[in-house]
Amino acid sequence: MSDAQIEWDGIHYPYVAPKQLDIDPSVRLHREADDEIDPVTHEILRYMLWSVNLEQGNTMLKISGSPIGAYGHDFNPAILDEYGDSVLMGPFLQFLSGAVNSGVKWTLENRGDNPGIEEGDIFLANDPWMASTHQPDVAVMAPVFVDGQVFCWVANTLHQWDLGGTAPGGFNPAAEDVFWEAPCIPPLKVVEGGVIRKDVEDLYARFSRMPKLVALDLRALIVGCRVAVERIQDIVERYSATTVKACMRKLQDDSEAAFVRRLDTVADGTWSAENWIESKQPGDRGLYRNRLELTKKGDRLTLSNRGSHPQIGAINCTFVAWAGAIMCMLTSQMLFDQMFVTEGARRHVDFDLEPGLINSATRPASVSGAPPGVLQMTTGLAELVISKMLATSTDPELRTEVQSVMGAMSYPQTSFAGKDQRGNDFTGFFLDPLGAALPAFSWRDGEDTGGYSWDLQSTMPNVEDTELFYPVLYLWRRELPDSGGAGRYRGGNSAEWAVTPHKTDSVRMLNVTSQICLPAPGIFGGMPSSTHRYQLVKGADPLGRAGRGEVMPTSIDEVEGEHRWLFAKSFDDRVEDGDVWICGWSGASGYGDPLLREPAEVETDVAAGRVSEPWARRAYGVVVGDAEATETLRAEIRAARIGGEPARKVAAPDPEGRSYGEGMVISDSGFSCRHCGEELGGLDANWKAEIAKSRELELTAANPIIREPDIYTDEQVAYREYYCPGCATMLDNEVVVAGSAPEADSRIRL
Amino acid sequence: MGYFVGVDIGGTFTDCVVLGEDGSLAQSKVSTTPKDLVEGFVGAIEVAAGELGLSLEELLTQSHQVLHGTTVATNLIVQLNGSRTGLITTRGHGDALLIMRSAGRSMGLPIEKMLHVSRHKKPQPLVPPDLIQEVTERVDFAGDELVPLAENEVREAVAKLKDRGVESVAVSYLWGFVNPGHERRTAEIIKEIDPDLYVTCAHELSPRPGEYERAAATAINAYVGPDSAQYFNRLDETLQAKGYRNQVLIMQASGGVSPAADAAEKPVYTIGSGPVAGLAGTSFVSRQAGHPNVIAADMGGTSFDVGIIHEGEPMRESSQVINQYTISMPRLLIESIGSGGGSIIHVDEFSKTLRVGPESAQADPGPACYGRGGTRPTITDANVVLGMYGAEGKLSGGLRLDTEASWEAMRTVAEPMGMDPVEVAAGAKRIVDSQMAELMRQLTIERGLDPREFVPYSFGGAAGLHVSGFTAALGVERAVVPLGNLASGFSALGVADSDLLHIQSHAQLISSPFDPAELTAVFERLESEVQAQLESEGVDPEDIELSRFAEMKFSLQIHQLVIPVPGGTLSAADTADLESAFIQRYEDTYGKGSAFADAGLQIGALEVHGRGRTSSPDLRSSERTGGGAPEPVGSREVYWPELAERRESAVLAGPGLTPGDRFEGPAIVEYPSTSVAIHPGDSAEVDGLGNLLIEVGGK
Repeated sequence: MSDAQIEWDGIHYPYVAPKQLDIDPSVRLHREADDEIDPVTHEILRYMLWSVNLEQGNTMLKISGSPIGAYGHDFNPAILDEYGDSVLMGPFLQFLSGAVNSGVKWTLENRGDNPGIEEGDIFLANDPWMASTHQPDVAVMAPVFVDGQVFCWVANTLHQWDLGGTAPGGFNPAAEDVFWEAPCIPPLKVVEGGVIRKDVEDLYARFSRMPKLVALDLRALIVGCRVAVERIQDIVERYSATTVKACMRKLQDDSEAAFVRRLDTVADGTWSAENWIESKQPGDRGLYRNRLELTKKGDRLTLSNRGSHPQIGAINCTFVAWAGAIMCMLTSQMLFDQMFVTEGARRHVDFDLEPGLINSATRPASVSGAPPGVLQMTTGLAELVISKMLATSTDPELRTEVQSVMGAMSYPQTSFAGKDQRGNDFTGFFLDPLGAALPAFSWRDGEDTGGYSWDLQSTMPNVEDTELFYPVLYLWRRELPDSGGAGRYRGGNSAEWAVTPHKTDSVRMLNVTSQICLPAPGIFGGMPSSTHRYQLVKGADPLGRAGRGEVMPTSIDEVEGEHRWLFAKSFDDRVEDGDVWICGWSGASGYGDPLLREPAEVETDVAAGRVSEPWARRAYGVVVGDAEATETLRAEIRAARIGGEPARKVAAPDPEGRSYGEGMVISDSGFSCRHCGEELGGLDANWKAEIAKSRELELTAANPIIREPDIYTDEQVAYREYYCPGCATMLDNEVVVAGSAPEADSRIRL
Repeated sequence: MGYFVGVDIGGTFTDCVVLGEDGSLAQSKVSTTPKDLVEGFVGAIEVAAGELGLSLEELLTQSHQVLHGTTVATNLIVQLNGSRTGLITTRGHGDALLIMRSAGRSMGLPIEKMLHVSRHKKPQPLVPPDLIQEVTERVDFAGDELVPLAENEVREAVAKLKDRGVESVAVSYLWGFVNPGHERRTAEIIKEIDPDLYVTCAHELSPRPGEYERAAATAINAYVGPDSAQYFNRLDETLQAKGYRNQVLIMQASGGVSPAADAAEKPVYTIGSGPVAGLAGTSFVSRQAGHPNVIAADMGGTSFDVGIIHEGEPMRESSQVINQYTISMPRLLIESIGSGGGSIIHVDEFSKTLRVGPESAQADPGPACYGRGGTRPTITDANVVLGMYGAEGKLSGGLRLDTEASWEAMRTVAEPMGMDPVEVAAGAKRIVDSQMAELMRQLTIERGLDPREFVPYSFGGAAGLHVSGFTAALGVERAVVPLGNLASGFSALGVADSDLLHIQSHAQLISSPFDPAELTAVFERLESEVQAQLESEGVDPEDIELSRFAEMKFSLQIHQLVIPVPGGTLSAADTADLESAFIQRYEDTYGKGSAFADAGLQIGALEVHGRGRTSSPDLRSSERTGGGAPEPVGSREVYWPELAERRESAVLAGPGLTPGDRFEGPAIVEYPSTSVAIHPGDSAEVDGLGNLLIEVGGK
């Protein structure tokens, strides 16, 4: 279908807001702002707006009392200007950013004449085609009126317990389309002239299996917004509307100035990254490509999803969620000092969107499983393409934001249910993987169990918290050695936990995840991450064994019994008395060739149990305690890489050269090896296909925790490394699915 | 006559306050002696004794109690100077302290740094991985033993730790607070092997669910334990040798004191007690001044600390963050932001607007006006430029002001912005005043309290110049600068007034309907433990005050509230009252309609607070002798930001003010350790205790 036929209105295709909104004339916007604002007043107002933004989020949490919000941080408050452009995004779940912008803009365009946008109104929405990342994330959006005009908007988003559909909680891995899921609500006036509409509230609560809790959360969302509306009106009264508006504009402009100044230091070019979502539904063994391409030209960025798999099964994601995933990484890597003012990036981003793919689903595709799957994977792909772009920066400070992929490129979402230790029905999901792992950076290792980049305060529950409320006993929860990708800088390690049912007969588990088969890619020769490792061991009887004086199993190798692998999508993995259920999530990938890591750093990791000795040898070429053997082993590895003694020696990088990541230098004449000077071809050429030496290896060579892919898929999967033909330094590597060709992932124009 | 002696040791000064039974008061301030803190401690008491015409021995012999606030343990942890510590824990769970629930990477960061993920980092581990030993044992949430303790593994673990040079051992098992048998037995084995090892068990310190926060408290206790214990013991011996007959009582972060021997076993409880002493001082003064609702604001060089007193009681919390570790322990609620006299004024590179903090000049080099080489302007420098300090002014401790350096530093910010240095200084002051007001607002509003029903009490070296500004920004009409002359000994006074306080708790998830007999049995057990402990410390049973609390929540909800429970044998009516009291408090705190009783109520923990009243005397209130406008000792030009101009302003000598004195702003009141700005439109009055009551007006 040609682009001209597509209506980006949120009905069938996603809503993509036009530059100029078409707003009914009955809605009057307050547009005036002082030309200048004095620097002290600006700072006072900036801090106050911050405080309002926090208060609006905290008020919502306070009233809601929702553990999903408090522990999962699955919420965010926002302040937006009169057009729905962002002023402040709260410091909680970062990928929710963007959904409310879209929601407010859609409301302005579609609700102005009927039912009207008036003082005291509040709109509610959870439609993933216009206002939400998936249906459980409900947003409320309130216009702030000053003198009869829409001065700005405030919005709150909070994940709901249950809004109906075929699966409690809202994730159904078997969904065929959106009608299996909780209903999608386009912006709906829930508060009219300051009064909650009872008919609307009743309808909304009626969808849910837990109507009273949902009604409570609705009040929380609304009151949180009202608090912010009133405070902003107070501040306007004190400082004048045009002054406060000037502060808002300046926040956006300053953020833009920071973004553009940083963008000015990087080269033009196009960078790409891809990975695969596993299993479209339980029982399926397919792999589905998720691809992201970033083009930078002058001060514009264009992001494209072209080349991704068509929408299918229960794995899809809408444009709103996909864009949120990208924007939150741009903010994290390029606007880290702008206090959550994301608009600076937004003004310079365009989307080249092909609809109908797994990351741009059209209605009525199933989309509720987006966050743990395509959305989260897209944060990782965005992290990679942004890092490749930033690696060309002439600003060394900005290059410190170059990073690999954070731990868990897909959330291992496991729900569990059954009878609890007190005899009551229970259902819950494990929050342990919030521990995640930070990526390797161009200057430091990733933080082990250092959380996610998109949840700045992610917090795992204590083992005791989970054991107190649910009928499970944790046999262990420990950091996983070798789970972080090997590299000059190592990716953060993840962790693993294992439970056995306790004081109940059995527990049913349901998985909605990916990254069980395929790891996250490394960057600039850093190696891939581990994968999630799910296992069920039948008849392990851990406590019985310990009671008989045998070993109490506290690692996967110590558990005896029938070991079964579990899959990315599953309905009903039944864990019975004496069984052990194990999940280790994936670590972060690595940065730079592991052979370039200082042997002393590897030895420290081995001593601390973060890297195993065999892996230290294989990946890093380090023989602990023997410098000479290390040197020999590293030379052998290099020779094995390119099938013979390298012609060139590894030398210290030329400080004058413009580095591109750990391994390369870029200049007008093209890429060259940073360690030996070998020419690698033009900046627009495919050096991997044309010049590099490469080897295709088993996928399991990429990381010791990765298992044979044929457990999970029938696709041919391999792992390919690319080396400098001169000195055999690893410059890049790829996961190869179905014989895919070497990818020209960096095309740079200096 | 009998005396109560309070000594508070800070980084720079050691303050001592002596309260006489007749309500009299003497105080002293000497330099802290970092090499041997006991020396300064004794020195301070000696100087105060001299004020009373007594020798050190005479004063100590007549002292009922010597009470002490110390940062020894805090410093050990902040400077990572503690003992080599090992941890023994449940097999399979040794990483809890390293994982830090993952939140350790950003815990306690100011919001300005929160988004900068590439800089997030966990702190250096207090217990390195090779000193964490796992042993086979397992107990479940109900306290049922699932796997017995493998005593041979404990012995092996201790041998390994000793080989690796460990001086102190923390023992923390999963659910050890529900069934402490394994922890107790482990401690016995350790003592059998080496009676000199310092041993801490988690269940004794922090009987609360949450293995990470409990293990962190235990490890930190073990880490600071040997050095703290040595200090407390030596202090005790020194004072005994000089004639003091009781144990020194040590200030706890919980707001009470505890005997030195007890503190030596649980020094972690003293961490964070510094700001708590100020809050205790506020509590002491505000009680006598008749202010039940107070926001206590302490502004020092590097931070602005706020605590809340509501209906006469300081608000509490159950954990604190130190060095990015969250530790579970009872403490008074104190919230801090990095706005202090040392906060650096700078221009943001992108917005070209003025920013203040979060970076601080710290004590060294300190503000430019200290003349120690600081070249970046701070809030203290802003006050110098505005004329809040006199040209000949001194800061506390006799440090002479280098006013030219302040101007010079301010110009480095002003010139690139095309502003006048005075404008920058005035702007910076408005910015911090507004930030401090926002913090106070958050602390009250978020707890369902209306800040306008509170009186800010403002103390600490830098607070007097900001009190009027932040009070006005908060929309409140009056504020108090407590005790005038005595303000510098405020924390020592708080220490001197503190009661013995022991808190015993029992954590267990109990769902409604509650069984009154079950609750009564738990409370009675906790009460007898607390009672026995206080009596063993020499407290007369008549002076023991026991109170009961239940920590409650709705099922499926997160918010816990601590609800008082009546004494004696509980009836069904009492538990019904408890439920309705909880629902009422819940709606008061979290908003009308927020209660979700359908889900059922739960008790997470029961707690007994045992207070041993020290019956320290009230301060003697003076008769109103003033009553008129006091005579200024001079005047100078001060730039008042709200007027945007310099105006000749009266300078009053604080020590010369007498109760009943009233005067109008603009004026500066100079005390030896602080100055107070009475803005144009404000008025001030001195009350019988010497407190300066400020009516904020006109802004």
